[in-house]
Amino acid sequence: MNNKLILFLGLFLSTSMVALAQDNISPARKQAIDSLALEKVKDLSKYISIIGSKETQFSEANRVMDRAEELFAPGAEMGVSSINTQEIAYYKVRRYFERLMALNYDRVNITWYDIQYISDLERQPDGRYVGVITIYQRFEGTSIETGMNYKDTTKKDITIYVEKKQTQIAGRTIEFWDVMLGDVRVTETSA
Amino acid sequence: MRKTYLIFAFFIAIISNVPGQGLGSPGTIKDDGRFAASTKQLNQFFRRFNGEESIDGGTRFNPGDSLYRNIPLRKGYLNILFDNQTTSITADLKNQFIQNVLSEAYPQYLVFHREGWYAEVETEFMFKGKREKATLFMKLQAEGLGYEWVIDQVSFAPFKNLFNKPVGDQKDFLHPLSHELGFMNLRKALQDSNLPESFTANSYKPDYLAIFLYEMKQNNLRFITVSGLKFHFFQVQGWYFEVNQFNRPGFNTGWLISNLVKLGPGDKETILKYIYDQE
Repeated sequence: MNNKLILFLGLFLSTSMVALAQDNISPARKQAIDSLALEKVKDLSKYISIIGSKETQFSEANRVMDRAEELFAPGAEMGVSSINTQEIAYYKVRRYFERLMALNYDRVNITWYDIQYISDLERQPDGRYVGVITIYQRFEGTSIETGMNYKDTTKKDITIYVEKKQTQIAGRTIEFWDVMLGDVRVTETSA
Repeated sequence: MRKTYLIFAFFIAIISNVPGQGLGSPGTIKDDGRFAASTKQLNQFFRRFNGEESIDGGTRFNPGDSLYRNIPLRKGYLNILFDNQTTSITADLKNQFIQNVLSEAYPQYLVFHREGWYAEVETEFMFKGKREKATLFMKLQAEGLGYEWVIDQVSFAPFKNLFNKPVGDQKDFLHPLSHELGFMNLRKALQDSNLPESFTANSYKPDYLAIFLYEMKQNNLRFITVSGLKFHFFQVQGWYFEVNQFNRPGFNTGWLISNLVKLGPGDKETILKYIYDQE
């Protein structure tokens, strides 16, 4: 079992993110990191859909919120603005999820557009790399009692932090690139 | 020119509709091309301006790639990087700019790490119990192992008239033999005057950022929110342009050039002075 785990980990690290010795990120490495980051963003979008769904049990939503929170670097915030005001309202990630779960609709449908944009990676003073992934989300909430149907499309600009880390596998030190999500800017669009 | 723009925008919209670009989960909504056409990040503005990405935005071109900084690609991009709906930029000025940028002998590119571009961030602060707007001018600088955005200047209305140095007969002064009296007249000058700046050198310029930071440290200024953002570019020789975000229906959206000025001698300094609003 242990050997299997080591093998799996080794394979995972070697296929997706084994690092080169240098600190600069080559275009090929950048592509591998983009894929990894996009996986995390996919996970986040999946979690958001589950948390927002009215069919999700309270306990399950809480469990998913825990998973979603784990994708983020400590202290990450969501900055939300609407069409009417560019002013940003700030929420801690957990608080944002809780608000999403508590929305007063009988039916909520969250879907994602088939488009995303991944920025270049820039190095910050502490040596970590930072990038931004942009995705678009469609929200639809229906209230049966009032017959109200609310729809919006939001652009989500998601910070990604990319850091070279080390792990020990079978006595060998293997370096790999790790990706964490950071602050998210949520902008309502006119679409 | 408008035709070229339309064709290119249409081309982006069509190309971007290839399957398999999205988040991939079932129920994904197909973009009708508007989000693909939109210049979604300032990073994309740089890449499009320089001709460094594929039309669908999915591939980043690097040095050595056949289409890296390709001139027809850049020409198409440059046309869609302008606000084509509300702008007062004339077609002639835009064409001159594009020709200048695409010059075969001396093509011009935007460089992320090079000086000559600034962010203007509209913010709101609580200052002495009142909500006030403050404009922060930010620039990118090298630091440690990478780069960081730093506050270069601030424009804050409550500070505007804080230093109102009188001129001519209205200005108090310390007479030229004050030193013989051991500057005893400083008492009158500084205790009785409401305008101590009268006694500063002609070259004195108040440092509003220092005062701003001081007030923050004294807890008199508390940050509330960001309410707007635009960028100023001086990287293309002989030109200034402003980039704003356009969030509206249609295909001409995202980060776009909203203002373009051909610079004559001394114009850059005048514009910078105007932008930074430090007088």
